[in-house]
Amino acid sequence: MKLFTKNKKEVNKHQKALNELIRVVGKERVLSSVEDRICYSYDGTKQKVLPDIVVRPGDTTDVSNTLKIANQYEVPIYARGAGSGLTGGAVPLKGGIVFDLKNMNRIIEICPEDFVATVEPGVVTKQLQDEVAKFDLFYPPDPSSAAFSTIGGNVAECAGGITGLKYGVTRDYILALEIVLPDGSVINTGGKTGYDLTRLFTGSEGTLGIFTKITVKLIPKPEKIRTLAAHFRNKDDAIDAADRIIDNNILPRTLEFLDQMTINALRGHTGTDMGEDVKALLLIDLDGTEESINYEMPVVENACKECNGFRIKVAETAQEREAIWAARRSISPALYNIASHKINEDICVPRSKIKEILQRVDRIKEDQPIYIANFGHIGDGNIHVNIMYNDDPGQEELAEIIVNKVMKEVVALGGSISGEHGIGNKKSQFMELEIPPHEYDIMKRFKSYFDPKGIMNPGKMFIR
Amino acid sequence: MEQQTHNNKIDQKVFEELCDAIGRENVLDNIEERVCSPFDTSEGKSIPDLVITPHSTEQVSSLLSIANKHSIPICPQWAWTGLSGGDVPVKSGISLDLKNMNRIEPLNARDLTVTVEPGVVIKDLQDEVAKSRLFYPPELGSAGFSTIGGRVAESTGGMIGMKYGVTREYVLAMEIVLPDGSVINTGRKTLKSVAGYDLTRFFVGSEGTLGVLTKITLKLLPMPEKIGTVISFFSDIDSALNATDSILIKNHLHVRSLEFADKICIDAIRESTEGEIPEEVGALLLIDVDGNEKNVANDISRIDALCRENSALNTSIANTDEKRNTLWDIWKSISPSLFKVNSMEFNEDCSAPRSKVKEALKKVYELGKAHSLQVAAFGNVGEGHVHLSVICNNGKVVDVPVNNLISQIFKDVVSVSRSNRSAQGVGDTKSEYIGLELAPHEIEIMRDLKRMFDPKSIMNPGKTFGNSSVHRNTHYK
Repeated sequence: MKLFTKNKKEVNKHQKALNELIRVVGKERVLSSVEDRICYSYDGTKQKVLPDIVVRPGDTTDVSNTLKIANQYEVPIYARGAGSGLTGGAVPLKGGIVFDLKNMNRIIEICPEDFVATVEPGVVTKQLQDEVAKFDLFYPPDPSSAAFSTIGGNVAECAGGITGLKYGVTRDYILALEIVLPDGSVINTGGKTGYDLTRLFTGSEGTLGIFTKITVKLIPKPEKIRTLAAHFRNKDDAIDAADRIIDNNILPRTLEFLDQMTINALRGHTGTDMGEDVKALLLIDLDGTEESINYEMPVVENACKECNGFRIKVAETAQEREAIWAARRSISPALYNIASHKINEDICVPRSKIKEILQRVDRIKEDQPIYIANFGHIGDGNIHVNIMYNDDPGQEELAEIIVNKVMKEVVALGGSISGEHGIGNKKSQFMELEIPPHEYDIMKRFKSYFDPKGIMNPGKMFIR
Repeated sequence: MEQQTHNNKIDQKVFEELCDAIGRENVLDNIEERVCSPFDTSEGKSIPDLVITPHSTEQVSSLLSIANKHSIPICPQWAWTGLSGGDVPVKSGISLDLKNMNRIEPLNARDLTVTVEPGVVIKDLQDEVAKSRLFYPPELGSAGFSTIGGRVAESTGGMIGMKYGVTREYVLAMEIVLPDGSVINTGRKTLKSVAGYDLTRFFVGSEGTLGVLTKITLKLLPMPEKIGTVISFFSDIDSALNATDSILIKNHLHVRSLEFADKICIDAIRESTEGEIPEEVGALLLIDVDGNEKNVANDISRIDALCRENSALNTSIANTDEKRNTLWDIWKSISPSLFKVNSMEFNEDCSAPRSKVKEALKKVYELGKAHSLQVAAFGNVGEGHVHLSVICNNGKVVDVPVNNLISQIFKDVVSVSRSNRSAQGVGDTKSEYIGLELAPHEIEIMRDLKRMFDPKSIMNPGKTFGNSSVHRNTHYK
């Protein structure tokens, strides 16, 4: 556990802010015991830094009052949803206030006639998906964390997920936001005129303001989903099959790829019936009407066959489907069977460069004593490159070097260092690989315009 | 000759500087060229001092840095089809016509992306990507002649905004020349990217007030196997809108587009339809569905049944591309046909939540009636976008101030809606309504951000945030 060291003046300011917060926001919403603070010190990256204060707002007024106080005393403030982010977004790197938005978890309105819903940021994404499903509606963005991550966190990171190829990502579904700016003022964006502040704030990773209301677009819920798994003897065949499916004018709801190392990890984890000859796997969901799926499924099967796919299995029952997807969901824990540490990158390349980037990753790894497992959303070129290493001396440094090389190759191929996880502090060192200096400066100007005192999530996204 | 026609608002030295940088042949200064240029359907015309037609990013960059140095306003000209006045140079200055920047970069179909210059006509883009069996979903009624640069700058919703979303969702990356002449690249040419703030989408819909878009990378989708079109006639507006509710809201059909037209619009196009529309028709719906052949057949038979349930007089289905195109060509002629109607007072887009369109339209018609004015309405009711035209009866001059009438219509629409962001963006004919929705603090933020990029306010001045020198597009006949 790290503790951000503060000078006397800072300690003084924090104490004043704490007193003021207790007075204005209320004792029951402000935590400062060590036990409580420890619970807010980490996120999905396993970094731990102890915050000084935790504030758990109940409404927009609480958020506004807290920000005013934080701004007045120049105390850093970090928005936190479920704390499941993968790039350090919620970690209180420089001490200060962690802003726990989980209590703001009301579904304010679902408007089935207009296909929109308005929710508070603390609503768990799965809960939103389930609630709108009662009206036969569908909120498509579906990060693997949907069962526990919050919609506020999804918007802050512009989360993607497995439905991106067919349905797009979080930013495509955000219609309007209520945002509290660092000075405590409240603005409403979207659904009206002027510049697109909704998009500017979507993916801003808690560095510009705090969302207090989020209005999302919904679409009709597809009637049926059917799943197919296809096995391949090498990864290029699987990539070809994915291309061929799209060539046949079919946009699968999900089109997931697993490489050999990933499959090995699954073997060691749950045990699968996959033989040693399986070197790559495609998991495909089709959605739509029964007739439409019946029409498309044989086309998909054929595309896989034509690319040397074998044991092409269509899940006939809900249980079979669940079994296939349970394997996909267990990849993250299963990888720890390979090694005890993981750096989980989420690179995205132009679709035509998928084979090329995987080859380059192989070449970078070569005979280095670490493991790399690649899996992910091959439909949109968004591959999770997992660099696995052990506690042995030099392994961590080696892993870092490899990540560095991978990022350079990604950018060289016209790709992005992050397709969906965000930058946080874990990837801020790579920002300038991808973002040219002038563009970087423009982003910084947005940052200093909205947050002149730099209190919002300091240490994230930008390193200079 | 040059001496005679050259407008004396722009200094001769600056003129020469521009010619040196961009080429004399790309700097148009004779009166014919300047007058022809701002051909805008909303008729708030003014004449630019110069029209400049660059061929490259470098030329755009030189132009902007010269204009910035001398504080000369620049108005991007895109294609000249904007309906909300966004294309008309409000103050005199330079009109930037990007028609020569119309290259489409070679595409790799695997990427599902294409990179184009702003002057590419949407139709040409569609034809080009169709060769790879791909399509660019947010197409529009004016897709035949409007350009991608204009579309992106206005962030238009378009006819198939329903199933496929709006322009913004398809813009992945851009090359932009800022007012000081510097060139930036935003976003990545990948289907996903979240590195840093979303500068790309910030510029989408900025209406040429922040910079000039010189390259645009768009997301494409595999072309649907089949498209089917249904046209359904109703005796009155209520039945047509009830059918809409039934199709979209009660039965959740995910249609490609759903367009509505009322009686005045139908009357305006009747002569071009060779008697195919019976006299008793008071409203029509034009619906596109797409997908694989099973989807299309399924959706069409359901739509047909739902229209009949809602007392459709007649429903016909276009089975061939030729028939489809005929139907759509007729549809696209509504807007120009309305201009032929005598004594048009006002032409405007409004939008309301889908479920409120019926109520909004009802109010608008009542208002028209109260002032003895006819209101023609058509548009994408599926997306809640309606184009309204106000026409005065018998060519008589209206004695109520038209501005007030428009304000009233807007207030009515806004009172039943949460949004008035229309399919056409916010040109100067609408800028005075921003105050209806943006809070003062929000307007201040918009102005600050504008100043951050364009401190001398040379880019499309007077647009979006008021201070327009053109007094709307209303005119009396």
